[in-house]
Amino acid sequence: MESAENPPQSSPHSVPPPLVFMRFRPAWAYIDGIREFGRFFCQTTFGTQELADRACVVIQETLENAVKYSSNTADSELELSILSDGQSIEFSVSSLPDQKHLDSLRNELNGLQTLDPEQAYLAAFIRASNEPDASARLGLARIRYEGGVELSMKEEAGGRVRITATGKL
Amino acid sequence: MSQFTTVTVPKTDTVAIQLTAPNQVKLSGTITQKDPSNDLAGFFKALHTAALADKLDEVRADVSGLTFVNSSAIRLFVDWATWLKNERGQRYTLLFVTSRNVTWQKTSFMALMSLAKEVLKIEQVS
Repeated sequence: MESAENPPQSSPHSVPPPLVFMRFRPAWAYIDGIREFGRFFCQTTFGTQELADRACVVIQETLENAVKYSSNTADSELELSILSDGQSIEFSVSSLPDQKHLDSLRNELNGLQTLDPEQAYLAAFIRASNEPDASARLGLARIRYEGGVELSMKEEAGGRVRITATGKL
Repeated sequence: MSQFTTVTVPKTDTVAIQLTAPNQVKLSGTITQKDPSNDLAGFFKALHTAALADKLDEVRADVSGLTFVNSSAIRLFVDWATWLKNERGQRYTLLFVTSRNVTWQKTSFMALMSLAKEVLKIEQVS
């Protein structure tokens, strides 16, 4: 039986069912509450403060991006899921972004993945320092470095985009 | 008269700000607003300008009680370090008092140090 003391296990070849699945309107006001739920959930389920802190960064920054760039339509709800196979943890956020944002998101992710997470975070700081009037663009680099995860992006039917952050437990 | 201590402290919902000495500012709480620069960028700039006017040797920014911030808030610290780094006249050292128990502080202030180590110091407290 699953419990906080016995986190769910699955066989290596199956996709584990989500431990958490949430669907909600893309509103900034929800982010704090969902982040703190994620902290509580990871602390309670996996028993480590370190993972709980990493979860906070991943959830905060992925949801901020999703909310900022969501299209303003009736089907633009966000989905957050958290999965684990007992070895790794996966945070996944699906959104319906404004299409003009897609290219910059793709470029940002591709650029990040040419550097290791620490180098990419330092590079993002340098860029922010050199471009004081531009938006910060620290979030994705922060997710990788501070969250201890790798990021991937998948374009889905209907214009939806799924950002997935996967890391070790 | 110290200009630093007379800087107007903004009122925000989630972060408490105190000017606790002629060269010290203390922030605690969380910063996760969509655009925290609306509340805080002008305040940090005013502290920077006042510290230069007061010819301070050091400004202590105690952020050890900031338990969580978003990347837009981290950007504000990058900006402050950048203003100071680019200052050509007499300048002060900006000392960030951080908590070794708060994850975001360890990673982000390490990165900030690499950006402007000539004008920054980090002090870790428990």
